[in-house]
Amino acid sequence: MNLASYTARRAALGLVQVLAVVTLVFVLVQALPGDAAVALAGDNPDPARIAQIRAAMGLDRPVLERFVEWLAGLPRLDFGVSLVSGRPVSEFLFGAIGPTAVLATLTLVLLLPISVMAGVLAALREGSLLDRALTSISVALHSIPEFALAVVLIAVFGVQLAWLPPTAVGADLLSQPAVLVLPLVVLLARPICSISRLVRAGMVDALASDYVRHARRLGLGETRIRFAHALPNALAPAVQQVARTTDWLLGGVIVVEAVFVIPGLGTVLVDAVAGRDLPVVQGLAVVFAVSTVAVNLVADLVAFRLAPRTEVVA
Amino acid sequence: MKRAGIGGLLIVVPLALALLGPLFVPEQQTRSAPFMPQGLLGTDFVGRDAWHQVLAGGQTVVLVALLATALSYVAGVPYGVVAATTRLRLVDEVLMRPLDVLLAVPSLLVLILVAAISGPGLLVLVGVVTLVNFPDVARLSRAAALEIAGRPALEAMRMQGESWWQTSIVYTGRSMLRTLAADLGVRLTAALYLVASASFLGVGVPPDAADWAVMVDRNRGGLFLQPLTVVVPALLIVALSVGVNLVFDRALRQVRT
Repeated sequence: MNLASYTARRAALGLVQVLAVVTLVFVLVQALPGDAAVALAGDNPDPARIAQIRAAMGLDRPVLERFVEWLAGLPRLDFGVSLVSGRPVSEFLFGAIGPTAVLATLTLVLLLPISVMAGVLAALREGSLLDRALTSISVALHSIPEFALAVVLIAVFGVQLAWLPPTAVGADLLSQPAVLVLPLVVLLARPICSISRLVRAGMVDALASDYVRHARRLGLGETRIRFAHALPNALAPAVQQVARTTDWLLGGVIVVEAVFVIPGLGTVLVDAVAGRDLPVVQGLAVVFAVSTVAVNLVADLVAFRLAPRTEVVA
Repeated sequence: MKRAGIGGLLIVVPLALALLGPLFVPEQQTRSAPFMPQGLLGTDFVGRDAWHQVLAGGQTVVLVALLATALSYVAGVPYGVVAATTRLRLVDEVLMRPLDVLLAVPSLLVLILVAAISGPGLLVLVGVVTLVNFPDVARLSRAAALEIAGRPALEAMRMQGESWWQTSIVYTGRSMLRTLAADLGVRLTAALYLVASASFLGVGVPPDAADWAVMVDRNRGGLFLQPLTVVVPALLIVALSVGVNLVFDRALRQVRT
């Protein structure tokens, strides 16, 4: 299969996933609960108020009609109107996307070189002290919840030692890089562990493979063998894991924004959930789901380019 | 050897606190001002003794994670086995394709979304964490059962006229056990992670609950006054997840070698 037809098939799958996820989100938010309007009315379930919310949400119209309308609005970035403030949901999204994008981009940019370097170093000195230390650390740190790690780091470096600002309240992220250090460390901790382990395993396999032995027999330089021949093959599974980490990353961003008080999409989501502002929750869910599917798509394409034998695995 | 020691120690302390701690919480709790230096760790954001909260607060995290993991196996293993052993390819597709969609949604998002709609409650938390873990368990058991279903041994058993119970349940089940056990550690840490993160975000638990993750969230305001009220529960959660990981990783190595 060549890259073009792989891309076409993978993109078709991605489209189906997006559609399915968007439908799922709609069904979850609109159809499944007993009645969203009753839940929204909250402490004073006054019939008049419920009817009012119902009309505002369009709940008195048939489900299918609402779904089609909502779906048609999505490509135009029309996610509906917030129940609490009455502002369009897209306004919330555009207002908050900056800090989240900064965090996510910086994490991904830093993640790759660091974890590839750690994995390659461990693989080249397989069995050495460095290798064992890196492996132990990555096993141990792999599953710590971000908020626990974040709070411990804040207590040590932000409060006790006072080296770094404990929160990002009122700070501009890009002009004050110091506020970004702790959030990024927290976001990087888990993915680095899992990806460097994969790179290490792939590199160990590749270095022991027939084609590397053949390349050595041909007299190629060791550097060229390692980085031009072994590394791309070792990277393919790691790139796909990078995509899986976006799942963590999105979850992590929500938590990290809450801990460090960064006004991004995660904060908007948590606030919307607390305020039961369902259209905003719905819009954010679509944005998060679509970006996850998109990142997975790109990662699969990169992995295919690196080692063109992977099948379309949904 | 050394690593198992550390892992074991890391797991025992929070587990013991979580399971036995509630027994040592006094019936009568006095309340004083928030974040005062009283008792072992000071007082929390509403003036309760933080040490008593630590004692009482591990139970939910541990039990919800265990229950959700168990349930995801109860639901996921038969699901995967049915998909693998069915003769109709269509059934397999119908069972497995929807899971691909679930896997494409960030798990914490599913959790927040469902909890936002169905309201707080520990059972909701158990249900959602089960739901998030379920596709992985189902896929894994399907893959394991597929491999086993093609074995010559099973073919021979079928030709000998062994009952469906013997071939499909007893033999297949026993052969899958090792694969599933190897995966248990990953599932358990994933469940712990989700439960703790959800509680921290205030999903599924009341805002003043005695719960380590809730304590971390609520007492953050007193980080400068009583840092221990935040750091101790956070460290307990860290110890628990690191410990579970190390212990299962070591057990896995021993099985393999």
